[in-house]
Amino acid sequence: MEWECCWNRDAISVGECPNIQAGEDDLLTSKRRRILEKCSDCSNFKHDLIRIENESDPVATLVSLFHGESQRQKIQIQSLASFLDNKTLQIRFLHELGYVLQNSVDLEEVLSVALTAITAGKGFGMNRAFLLLKDREAGQLKGHMAIGPRNFEEAVHTWDEIIQNDMDLKTLAQNFRQNKLSAERAKFHDILEQLTFSTANKDHVIIKALDSKRPVLIEDAFHHPDVPSEFARLLGVDTFLLMPLVSRSRRVGMIIADNCITHRHITEEDMHSLESFSFPVAFAIERASLYDKLQVELDRVTEAGKKLKEQQELIVRMEKMALVGRITSSIAHSVRNPLMIIGGFARSLLKNCNTADPQREFMESIVAETRHLESVLDEILNYADSLYPTRDFWDVGQLIDTALRDASDQLTSLGYATVCTSDDNLPPVYIDLKQISYCLRTMLQSDIDGIGEDKTIVITAYRSGDSVVLRVEDRSRRISQEDLDRLLIPFSETRDLGAGLGLALCKAMLEKQGVPFEALADPLKGTVYTIVLPTHKEEQP
Amino acid sequence: MSRLLVVDDEANIRLLYSEELIDEGYEVVTAGTITEATEKLQAGVFDLAILDIKLKNESGIEFLQQLVKERHDMPVILCSAFSCYKDDFSAWLADGYVVKSGDLTELKQEIARVLAKKAAKASK
Repeated sequence: MEWECCWNRDAISVGECPNIQAGEDDLLTSKRRRILEKCSDCSNFKHDLIRIENESDPVATLVSLFHGESQRQKIQIQSLASFLDNKTLQIRFLHELGYVLQNSVDLEEVLSVALTAITAGKGFGMNRAFLLLKDREAGQLKGHMAIGPRNFEEAVHTWDEIIQNDMDLKTLAQNFRQNKLSAERAKFHDILEQLTFSTANKDHVIIKALDSKRPVLIEDAFHHPDVPSEFARLLGVDTFLLMPLVSRSRRVGMIIADNCITHRHITEEDMHSLESFSFPVAFAIERASLYDKLQVELDRVTEAGKKLKEQQELIVRMEKMALVGRITSSIAHSVRNPLMIIGGFARSLLKNCNTADPQREFMESIVAETRHLESVLDEILNYADSLYPTRDFWDVGQLIDTALRDASDQLTSLGYATVCTSDDNLPPVYIDLKQISYCLRTMLQSDIDGIGEDKTIVITAYRSGDSVVLRVEDRSRRISQEDLDRLLIPFSETRDLGAGLGLALCKAMLEKQGVPFEALADPLKGTVYTIVLPTHKEEQP
Repeated sequence: MSRLLVVDDEANIRLLYSEELIDEGYEVVTAGTITEATEKLQAGVFDLAILDIKLKNESGIEFLQQLVKERHDMPVILCSAFSCYKDDFSAWLADGYVVKSGDLTELKQEIARVLAKKAAKASK
């Protein structure tokens, strides 16, 4: 019998089997392989089988049975191979995803990777995804980021771009973060703003899904009894997937994914794939959040360490200054007693000295010089005291009273009157009372001669922000700004004002305490001193 | 005539105070140590004491506390080379405080003020 197919021939020539393609020449001489690989699908072979059956050969039924079974198993194997291929791709993708997530502690990067993975074609291929994060303190689940096209044109453009660039997941995510993150946030701003849910709202479908820690596939959303209509309208899709992000037992956030453009059906298989993806994502998000918090704490600790170091340096510096102060103080006190004895006896002698006595002039010189030395000594001792200021909170009124009381005798003898005005309820100021009192007293008693007619000194205290401003206005003492500035430099002589330390010492003391000081002079209007006193410890240097 | 006790470890300062205060019409007794001052106080009555704060190895502030306790009717003026004790709480027990100076005017004014205050208190 002549057969249409070549199944009964040991070897055939090229072109005798229509199913053998170029490069499959070895099948021409292998009868067994040719039958197994080509004949079962060949129409000629099927015709031959029909002919065999028609000849009522009992073996024909058997052959036909085996052929049918063989075909069925072949289809099954192809289906399984396809399934395995898909799974292999999925495992490779998850491996890539895990690798990228494990190597990042940057929250924005992790979120970019997660959203890119959901929407990438080589990933889960969803059209659009929203990521919501749980804010534990506010007790809310809040929209944080989104990815996807908003219309068909944009979708086509994006997918074309992805196909042309053929990037791996990490590159896609980096590209998204660098070039598109801000734009995507702005694009979905309106929806993200409305995607805020109180975690106390246990009846809401999204909170239910979060609490159950299981993914939920919502179909027919516009008529779904558990989906609020405003939520369905906000997303604008009939079918979407709610994927809770759970790290260990903690609920980290939620992903809402849908196919808003293609409307491809979301299968149970899609849901399970995304579920396996959500675990490493949730873990990475939590780890990145903790890293962020750790970074903040680290910055805080670093800052505290820096401050501590500065404080230590300050203490060392103050100790050195205090040592200088103690030495200065000790020397000054050793000088004071002999100086007092010399000056005292010179005065005694002067008292009993005849006005015509030629020695009288010498006595007067001794008295004058010891007086001068004593005043220098006072200033040195005040300076030594200033090297280790002790600060505390003091009442401004008390400060003014102390200074006025100490200066009252001199001011009265010179015919000065003082007027004090201060705001009500001024806060306590953080100062070294002794030093600031000295400064205020020095301003009141400065060596500048009073030549103005109005011998009134006005002291004003008022609040300015977090500080209290103290202003001493003396209209009778007149000097040029140049001379006043020179008085603020230690031991700088001015022609008429001597080599006093007073105001210079005030400036040094105030600067050391970080208290702003300003001295303004007008030869016609008088002098105005302004000091700004802190009300908080932090304002100190 | 008011009787004053001057306590200072410097002999020349004691001499200066004596000369000047006697001229002012006071009777002046001096002591160089606290022990000596205690003996003088036991031997007689004084209207006022002028006390140095740093007395070699002794503390004028501690002696001041003792005087306030035992002789509360006798005012004390602290007279020291140290101006910083003026702000020391323990020095506030004294009736007056003068920083040492070759010019004794301030000390003399302070003595007059404290004695007048004591007299006014006694007359009430």
